[in-house]
Amino acid sequence: MGKYILKRVGQILVTLLIFQTLLFVILTALPGDVTNRMLTNPDIPPEVRERTRQALGLDDPVLIQYGRWLGNFLTGNLGVSYSEYPKPVIDILLERIPRTVVLFLTASIVQFVVGFTTGRALAWRRGGFFEYGSTVVGVTLYTVFTPWFGLMMIFIFGARLRWLPLGKFLDPVIWRNAEITGLADSASKGNYVFTRMLLTASIAVVLWLLLTIFTRNMSTRRRNRARLGGTFLILATAVGIWAASEIGYLAWDIVKHMILPVVTITLVGFAGTMLLTRQTMLETLREDYIQTARAKGLPEKVVRDKHAARNAMLPVFTGLIINLPGAISGGIITETIFSWPGMGITLLNATTSEDIPLVMGTLSFIGLLTLTAHLVADVTYAFLDPRIRY
Amino acid sequence: MNMTVQTSSVDTAPPLWQMRLKLALKNFKSGWAIFKENPIGIIGLVLIVFFALLAALHPILMATAWEPAVYDPITGYDFEILIHPSPPTWIPQPDNPMWEFSFRHVLGTDPLGRDVLSQLMFSTRSEFLLGVGAALVTVLIATTIGAVAAYYGGLVDMIFMRIADVVYMLPFIALLIVLSSLFDFELIHLALVYGVLAGFGGTTIVIKSQALTIKVKAYIEAARIAGGNDLHIIFTHLVPNLLPLSFLYMMFTVTGAIFSEAVLSFFGLLDIRMSWGLMIQTAQAAGYLLNSWKYWYLMFPSGVAITLLCAAFYLVGRALDEVVNPRLRKR
Amino acid sequence: MAEATPILSVQDLVMHYTTRKGDVSAVDGVSFDLENGKSLGLVGESGCGKTSIAFSLMKLLPDNAKIKGGSIYVGGTDILQLSHDELLKFRWQRIAMVFQAAMNALNPVYTVGDQIIEALDLHWGDLSREQSRERIGQLFEMVGLDPKLMDRYPHEFSGGMRQRAVIAMALSCNPDIIIADEPTTALDVIVQDRILRELKKIQEKLGMSMIYISHDIAVIAEVSDRIGVMYAGRMAELADGVDIFEHPLHPYTYALMRAFPSIKGEKHELVTLPGEPPDLLFPPPGCRFHPRCPRATDVCKQEQPPFADNGRGHFVACWHPMEANHE
Ligand SMILES: Nc1ncnc2c1ncn2[C@@H]1O[C@H](COP(=O)(O)OP(=O)(O)OP(=O)(O)O)[C@@H](O)[C@H]1O
Ligand code: SF4
Ligand SMILES: [Mg+2]
Repeated sequence: MGKYILKRVGQILVTLLIFQTLLFVILTALPGDVTNRMLTNPDIPPEVRERTRQALGLDDPVLIQYGRWLGNFLTGNLGVSYSEYPKPVIDILLERIPRTVVLFLTASIVQFVVGFTTGRALAWRRGGFFEYGSTVVGVTLYTVFTPWFGLMMIFIFGARLRWLPLGKFLDPVIWRNAEITGLADSASKGNYVFTRMLLTASIAVVLWLLLTIFTRNMSTRRRNRARLGGTFLILATAVGIWAASEIGYLAWDIVKHMILPVVTITLVGFAGTMLLTRQTMLETLREDYIQTARAKGLPEKVVRDKHAARNAMLPVFTGLIINLPGAISGGIITETIFSWPGMGITLLNATTSEDIPLVMGTLSFIGLLTLTAHLVADVTYAFLDPRIRY
Repeated sequence: MNMTVQTSSVDTAPPLWQMRLKLALKNFKSGWAIFKENPIGIIGLVLIVFFALLAALHPILMATAWEPAVYDPITGYDFEILIHPSPPTWIPQPDNPMWEFSFRHVLGTDPLGRDVLSQLMFSTRSEFLLGVGAALVTVLIATTIGAVAAYYGGLVDMIFMRIADVVYMLPFIALLIVLSSLFDFELIHLALVYGVLAGFGGTTIVIKSQALTIKVKAYIEAARIAGGNDLHIIFTHLVPNLLPLSFLYMMFTVTGAIFSEAVLSFFGLLDIRMSWGLMIQTAQAAGYLLNSWKYWYLMFPSGVAITLLCAAFYLVGRALDEVVNPRLRKR
Repeated sequence: MAEATPILSVQDLVMHYTTRKGDVSAVDGVSFDLENGKSLGLVGESGCGKTSIAFSLMKLLPDNAKIKGGSIYVGGTDILQLSHDELLKFRWQRIAMVFQAAMNALNPVYTVGDQIIEALDLHWGDLSREQSRERIGQLFEMVGLDPKLMDRYPHEFSGGMRQRAVIAMALSCNPDIIIADEPTTALDVIVQDRILRELKKIQEKLGMSMIYISHDIAVIAEVSDRIGVMYAGRMAELADGVDIFEHPLHPYTYALMRAFPSIKGEKHELVTLPGEPPDLLFPPPGCRFHPRCPRATDVCKQEQPPFADNGRGHFVACWHPMEANHE
């Protein structure tokens, strides 16, 4: 297992290096030099451009520039943003990365759970209306033009029904009047609350993992009961603490802003999972061990939900991994449509304002994010499939 | 099979290409028989034909019924209508005394006074060109690399597979967003870049593994023993057998390329004068989103068109998947 | 012969598979008894309905299968009359199955031990985890596996070890009857034979009843008290092992015996007869063997021969049986 993970980490690092090289090639292939584009921002004094030129060493040989580029990436020295001059790129990114990660992670988990559950349920009904109905709905959602779909979601749930906010990360009116000692502007208040939300979620996940590990050796029935109760307890405590706290309503505001993008990503993504689950379930149900499980006298529900579904999950999860770059692209698009201040909108704004350092920084980190997601997914897969664990 | 050709008297046996053509025709027929069993593939095909007709009809209409000054998808303007955007002319408009039934603007006009249907039809052609262009590039690259990597194995194989691993993990859209904004991207550039990225990435991996299973077949061995030139074997024996699979992946590439184009032009990053993505963007930027029911003719036709055309190629791909991979077929 | 009440009694079992092309008559009027502590071997060519019988006995049939008639009594109760819930309790507790050489009979994502615990939990109430593990330890020792292996996953087992694990699983709830179905694709003949013999020993030690299914009459002869020869969904002949070998009455059995080489251990297919077994979608009328039978007459073509006792519990379904020289 350790060896497997190590090997994957190695591969990912090589990939990252190649990706960084590719970015460098793009950068050097640009007409003119990077600092050209500084001219478009009148706030930046001309001598800054000259200084940047020297700092970047744009007159050095390409190879030295390449080495410096890699070094800068490793040390997080990504330069200064042109459009938000003089903010360092890394600061901008550090603020936005968690937002993207949270949105993407939540949406991915929700879409996997929803897709897998519906796909599993569909495998119960063969042929006829359900088979074609689910395929048609599934394919439509799978190929729907994401930006348009996002706009329609905003229009229906935000503008028409007014259930949810139209977009963005938080409601400025609420936050302007919010009292958090020592913090003046909404942005830092937002970060303050958001960081605490992240902390809560991380603690909850750790607790849940501990719960799973400690209940491992119980008898089946007690284990199921303990896990269910424990999960509920953890969730209830987390929600309870927030509900009682003074900034609870602010957290709720952030959550409310998350719902629509999460639902959109889920709707666009779950169909693929659903179709794949159904198909692999039908294939798995033909396996010999399913026959064994039935012969043992297990009820059909257990046979399907425990034996078949657990195995069907493996190819579905693989499919998810294969689709990861696509999912991240979808996430970036969705974020942008909902003005969720994450990596996607940062990238788009940076490109349209020709803020090269920010563009390159964002792209580097999106690449890093994709690769990390890949690694996490691979390791998770190794835990799901005992045949890989050695 | 080649063995029989070589041993039987040469003058009575039909030439190799003719046999191959016959075989291909037979394969096509049996493949088609399976394909048409599947309503999913037929739906996709019907949709593709429908859009192809739309695309083909546009220049004809422009040359005949549609006056260019009014109907030009980019520069047209209808002066006879006072307020743009205007709803489809065949729908009664109670609060407009000037209204009379006609098919003048079947899908209304956009905020700049241009005919929506004309824009929709005009864009269809470029979507096809883009999709098919990108797919051709992809398949050309993926099939060649897949066949070569499988045939030679070893270092060649390793290098290409490593590249494929990297390329397929790239955040496509993010990369395209950057490329298209930093360089002046036109449709053809997008088709090329997308085709190359898709070609070096996932498609290669799939095609190579298929090529591996063909490589071990007897006739390849026979050809090799008979002293066939490597390239000759690759292109006369290996590649033709990969074509069905390549064709299948072409469909998925088309979907991806059209989708990417729509996203980029929606974000206003493509150097393109009219496209479905741009149509949505125009409507949204002009603020008609929050009134989508009333201005449905601005928000829906292009969005639905992108979805349907993507779905069409995807559906055909899925149906072809069943033809190419018998494992998926129902008994 | 003193008749004890059989643990299993099958009477006139008829089972069809519905397909798009029509009904496949896979089991047609099969009857046999299995006495407590004894073993029965079912032998016949591929596709003659052996597996179909086995799955009917557990009422574990695919959706398109339908039991059209007959009865299956296990220890006095007709399992065809059981409700769904009763059936679930009945499986594995009364009849368990060894899917021999089925490489995939074990679920790859659960440990072997957990898969046995699952059966124990289901049928033996809420055993504590320690009790279950102790039981599995015993079972593993019985089938010749190291108890430490119970926490391993199936892929860590060799083919032979897997077969043993599957046997341990079948034994787990002390069933009355174990069915061992050998598919036509055996992996390793030598391992297969050894395990079969060990299974036989365990069966005798525990006093269980057993049904062995194989297309190889040599294997069957070695482990079974009684042998049933099947042909095209029907039982052609059913008798004690010795009788079948020494005095086959059915022309099909006779042909099988003749084809069976005297040098033991050599495997071969039972296709030395001219012609092929019939398509069960359209079985021939009368005796299903008549198109290939050297003794066939007009009556064979029209009327189905009765499955009758020929004395000493030697049943045969034939209008013109071979010379019966028992006495
Ligand atoms: N699910 C099914 N649907 C339709 N026909 C079936 C089905 N399963 C089996 N059959 C048919 O029923 C007949 C009996 O099959 P069965 O599997 O019982 O034979 P078998 O004696 O076990 O053969 P083998 O030695 O190959 O295992 C065969 O003709 C087979 O084609
Ligand atoms: S009944 Fe007739 S056809 Fe059938 S086995 Fe006996 S002799 Fe042969
Ligand atoms: Mg069988």
